[in-house]
Order: sequence, then C-alpha cells, then structure tokens
Amino acid sequence: MTVIRDINFGLEEGGTLALVGSNGAGKTTLLMSLAGHIIPKSGQVRLNGVDLVDKGPETRCGLGVGLVPEGRRVFPDLSVFENLVVGGYSRPSNNQSGSMARVFEVFPRLFDRKNQVAGSLSGGEQQMLAFGRAIMSNPNLLLVDELSLGLMPSVVDECYKALEKLVKKGIAVILVDQNSDAATNFCSSTLILETGDQVWLGESSALSEESTH
Amino acid sequence: MLFFDLCIQGVIQGAIYALIALGLTLVYGLLRILHVAHAALFTLGGYIGVIVTNGSGSFLLALFTSMLIVAVVGMSSYTIIYKPLLNRAPLISLIASIGIFIASEELFRIFFGAYGLSYINPPLQGQIEILSGVSLSHARILVVVLAIGLLSGVGWLAINTRVGIAARATVIDPQMAASSGINVEIIRYGSFFIGSAFAGAAGVMVSLLNNLVEPTMGAVPSYKALAIIVLGGLGNVRGALVASLALGIIESFGTIYVGHLLDRDSIAFAFLIMVLMVRPQGLLARG
Ligand SMILES: Nc1ncnc2c1ncn2[C@@H]1O[C@H](COP(=O)(O)OP(=O)(O)OP(=O)(O)O)[C@@H](O)[C@H]1O
Ligand SMILES: [Mg+2]
Repeated sequence: MTVIRDINFGLEEGGTLALVGSNGAGKTTLLMSLAGHIIPKSGQVRLNGVDLVDKGPETRCGLGVGLVPEGRRVFPDLSVFENLVVGGYSRPSNNQSGSMARVFEVFPRLFDRKNQVAGSLSGGEQQMLAFGRAIMSNPNLLLVDELSLGLMPSVVDECYKALEKLVKKGIAVILVDQNSDAATNFCSSTLILETGDQVWLGESSALSEESTH
Repeated sequence: MLFFDLCIQGVIQGAIYALIALGLTLVYGLLRILHVAHAALFTLGGYIGVIVTNGSGSFLLALFTSMLIVAVVGMSSYTIIYKPLLNRAPLISLIASIGIFIASEELFRIFFGAYGLSYINPPLQGQIEILSGVSLSHARILVVVLAIGLLSGVGWLAINTRVGIAARATVIDPQMAASSGINVEIIRYGSFFIGSAFAGAAGVMVSLLNNLVEPTMGAVPSYKALAIIVLGGLGNVRGALVASLALGIIESFGTIYVGHLLDRDSIAFAFLIMVLMVRPQGLLARG
C-alpha cells in the first residue's frame, strides 16, 4: 500500500520545516521513513551528501538523524539518566557526560529527576526526555512528531524554546504539530501533505499571506 | 536438619532452573518467541561436559568448552530458525522451535546412543560438612556458586554498562533503541550467546549431579522453564530468577510433604496455576 508519494524537499543547516496535514495525511509515515523505520519503495534520502535509503535506523542515528517520535516513547522502565545514556549510544562513551550536561542545560528539570524512572515522569517531562535522548546523539537533523500532543500550554512553550536553542546551534528541524499554526510560526518553511501528496511547499510567511487573502 | 536439607536442595534446583530460564526470558523479551529448543541446548551442554571431561580429564575445561560451543549453537539457532520467521506469526516460530527440540532428542540418540553417557571418573565428588550433620558435595556447591556468579555478572552488566542499558532499552522498544544508534541485531546475538552459554552450564552441572546425560534430559526443563518465565511475568528477567528459586524450593518441600499425592512436576504446575489465579501477570510484573 502506498501512503505517501512524490515528496520532494531540501533543508539547510539550521533550517526548519513544518509538516502540515490532516489526520492520516502521512506525516508520521514521512518522518518514520526519514528515520529509517519505513523503507520507501523508491526515492532518495540524503543527509550531508550521504544516501540514507539503504541504511538502518541505527546507522542514520550515527550519521546525524535524531527522532522525537509521536507519543514520545521514552523507555519507561529505565531512569532518566539511563534513557539519556541510550540516547548517546552512537557516540564514544567519553562524550557522554558532556552531552548530558548540555541536555540538562536545556532541560534543567530532567537533572532534578535524573534517577527517577521515565515512566513516572509527567507528559511534559517525558517530552523533554524524548528531546534530550535525541539530542544526546548530537544530530544534524531532528525529526519531531506531534510536539504538543497532550501537553499543557506552558510545557509546550518550554519545548518550543528548547527547540529554538537547538536550531540556533545549527540543528535542522522537521516538525509536526497538531497545532499547525504553532508549527508554521516556528518553522521558516512549510510542506503541506494531503492524503500522501505534497500539495504545497514554500516559505511559511507566504502561507500566512495566502490564507489572509 | 530435614528443613535445612530441603532448603539447600531447593536452592540447588532453583539455581539450575535460573540458569536455564535466563536465556528463555531474554529471547522472549527481545523476540516475543517461546524458545522451546532452548532445552536442547541444555542437553547438548551436558553431553559436551561429559565427553570433554572423559576425554581430557579436566572438568573446568569441559565446562568452558561446553558453554562456548552451546553459545555458538544458540546464536546459530537465531540465524537459522528464528530470524527468517521474524515477520511471521509467533506461532510459526513456536512450532519450528518445538520441531527442533523433538528432532534434537533423536539426534542425541543417533550420535551418542540411546542409553546416555556417564563420567568415567566423576569429578568434584568430595564432601564438605557445612553444618554438623549436613554435608554437601563439591559439585552441589559449585552449582550454586556458578549460578550466583554468572547471574550476578549479567545483572551487573545490565545495570552498570552502556551495552547492558542498551539491551534493556531494546527489550522495551526496539525501534526507539535502533533510532538511538543501538544495533538491535547485536543485542539479539549477545542475548542468545549469554542465555545459551548459561543453559549449557546448567546442562553440565546436571550431568554431574546425576552422573548421567541422556537424550531426553531436556524434556522436563523444556516445559518447566516455560512455567518459570510465565510465573516471573513473561520477559521479566528478575521475575524469572525469583520464580526459579521459588519453584526449586516449593518442589523440594512439596515432594516430601505432598509427594504421596502429587509428583514433583505436578507440584510445580499446581503452583503455577495457583499463582496465576492470584496474579495473572506473574510474580513480579507490574499490573
Ligand atoms: N503500517 C501501516 N499499514 C497500513 N496503513 C498504514 C500503516 N501505517 C500508517 N498507515 C496509514 O497511512 C496513512 C498515514 O498515516 P500517518 O500515521 O503517517 O498519518 P499522520 O499524518 O501522521 O496522521 P496523524 O495526524 O493522525 O498522526 C493513514 O491512512 C494510516 O492509516
Ligand atoms: Mg502522526
């Protein structure tokens, strides 16, 4: 079964792309195929000139793809610390404490709960941990699915602020958020999916002009 | 001293169950497959233990050789049987596994004879008096020491090393583990390696305690170990270890006190049924 087709876009270092579309449009499918969990029937995925299509998710992680999946999917039985250790698994172990310190800088709340099992964190804290875990691998590209799903507005703000810091560091972001205004406001460009087809791609600012006219 | 004797007997049996059940639990946790053929590895371990000891005169060499060969055979069972069936319904792997197990009994019969093998000079038969009136053979002590050593070694790895933490993450969510850079295949092979080596060690120890290996020695462990991993909460390593010990002790006391009503294996399964009526999720699993 074909869920998404004819999708074509590029992203610069530190670039941000909002992926917008109604339920079932194929946003998660697209992100999961970029992460290597869904193998496309045809097409190319390139990162820094390296073709990723024949590479598994663990290799893509090492090459700079980070994933903050729909539903967060932290490892509930592992502690916050252990979740972050797993996140940094693709990098040499002597990078671990440095990377972890950077995560705690962005999300101080995780530091306070370092030894708590992830399953006992609040939804917002789990989302922060999912971000932290992805950042541990020092990605060039962060795939974020359903950032605000089920979160309090204040936590959503906190996550967007953290995301902004990451973008300033040069990490490119592809973002899906059920609150599509939040996503398009955050991202400089937007791609609209409609039942698996790419129907619009451009600057997010152009999008808001179009809709006001 | 009967009470004390029965406790020791139970701990020894529990240690053997635990060595066998670890591999089964790891495989279930990672692949959601009931690895019935695991018990064939236990038998293979026993045969290698007897053959190498009789050939070389060194029991220690036999133990290491057995663990290593059984570990490699266990890893190949993943490559040959389970990996090609991963995308099929779990029932198919289960049937393949049962088939391999049944075939293995016949293979042991064909290669090593129907009546089994014994040690020419059974090693570690010396006795130590640990309390007045209670003495144990070196072999029995070694079973417990070996089980505690090997299992706590694995426990230490799982808690304190990156690989161990990665393996636990892989059991919980293989996709997210992979997206964190973990090679899930390596974790699977490593688990088959460790779990099979431990089953091999258990086979060697049982061959020593009984001074006998025979083609069907894996039959009882095959279903007993399944009961244990269900008792422990499927895929829960700590639960399986607790269940192994509990079952060993209950069988040991049960055969004395209710042995005239139920035989050893019936006691084990009566216990399984009673626990599952109260805690369907197993002894340690969360609700
Ligand atoms: N494994 C699968 N097998 C068959 N169909 C699938 C599979 N996964 C997803 N689909 C279908 O593909 C379509 C796109 O799903 P996807 O999850 O990518 O949508 P989405 O845009 O992320 O939606 P949402 O906003 O609800 O998260 C849906 O119609 C879904 O039912
Ligand atoms: Mg989705």
